[in-house]
Amino acid sequence: MSCLETQLAGWAAPAPVANALETNESTSQTIAALVAEYSTALYRVAFSVTRNAAEAEDAVQETFLRVLKHQARLGEIRDYRVWLVRIVWNIVLDRKRRAKTRPENEDLADHARVLPSGEPGADQTAISSQEYARILALVDRLPRREREAILLSAVEELTTAEIASVLATTESSIRSRIFRARRELSALLEKEGISR
Amino acid sequence: MNAELEPWKERIDAALRSAGSADPAPGLEGRILTRLAAERAAMEAHPARMGWFARMPRYSAPVLGVATASLVCAVIIVGSVDHSRVRHPGHVAPPVLVLPGHGLGAASAVHPAEPATAPVAAGPASRGRSVRHFSHPRARIAPNAKKATGVAVPAPTTNPQ
Repeated sequence: MSCLETQLAGWAAPAPVANALETNESTSQTIAALVAEYSTALYRVAFSVTRNAAEAEDAVQETFLRVLKHQARLGEIRDYRVWLVRIVWNIVLDRKRRAKTRPENEDLADHARVLPSGEPGADQTAISSQEYARILALVDRLPRREREAILLSAVEELTTAEIASVLATTESSIRSRIFRARRELSALLEKEGISR
Repeated sequence: MNAELEPWKERIDAALRSAGSADPAPGLEGRILTRLAAERAAMEAHPARMGWFARMPRYSAPVLGVATASLVCAVIIVGSVDHSRVRHPGHVAPPVLVLPGHGLGAASAVHPAEPATAPVAAGPASRGRSVRHFSHPRARIAPNAKKATGVAVPAPTTNPQ
């Protein structure tokens, strides 16, 4: 074995097995804790884009599968929430890009299910969910940056700073994007003739 | 501007809230953990082909990268040198610069000539040169200067005194 090979063998030597097992166990616990703490928030992020319960759940599961595959990096992460949101965000955007079309399987029942409690009746609920679906369809017509900012701002758990981290920009930029998005959305609503 | 937004504000907020506050179906965590457990079992049963690479210490990947890059650079340099030798086989004598016995440097070597012994007079077609008068330090054009035809030049200045 040459000197170079000896050195490479030394560098490539795996960590001790006991150490690895211990790491695996603590990693599993860490991942389980992450699932318990962030799965709902991640679901909301995914749902804000897909607007489909099954797809959103699938995206969340895919997110944690990626975490499992890259579990060695868990120790390097400073902010798990932002990291996980970025993963699920990329997953849903990637899927949407592949689908090429807006969600045709958008489920009005999903909208109806998440409406705030205290809605007067089933008819009113159905009307509201249809109207919300139309407004969210208009959100999809906004420019990419504005759309991303306003969709993430809809997720209650995320602060402006976290949204800025996910989208790799500044807080002030996020604020101005959200403002522009709302302004353009109002213009679109006016143009579409949706009654005030 | 805010007046524009106002009529729609509540509806937009409500629609966004409906998208951003959706609750997952009950048992989401359990389903995720079950899938993770299945995936972990599959990974242990069939370790990935690149498993040895993943088990490498963190610093070994950059080291291997640098080593590979160095090797590639060395191959490129050796290859280009060999290529140059093939294109120019044998020894070609470099050009020899023969310096004359006298002269002021490389210019005299390229154009060997005797140094001028007297100032060179301007030719008949050369342009007029300004003449500096020490009594009047301002430059003036000499009255007998030769001008090329067709070139507009000011008339010679004459001292009115």
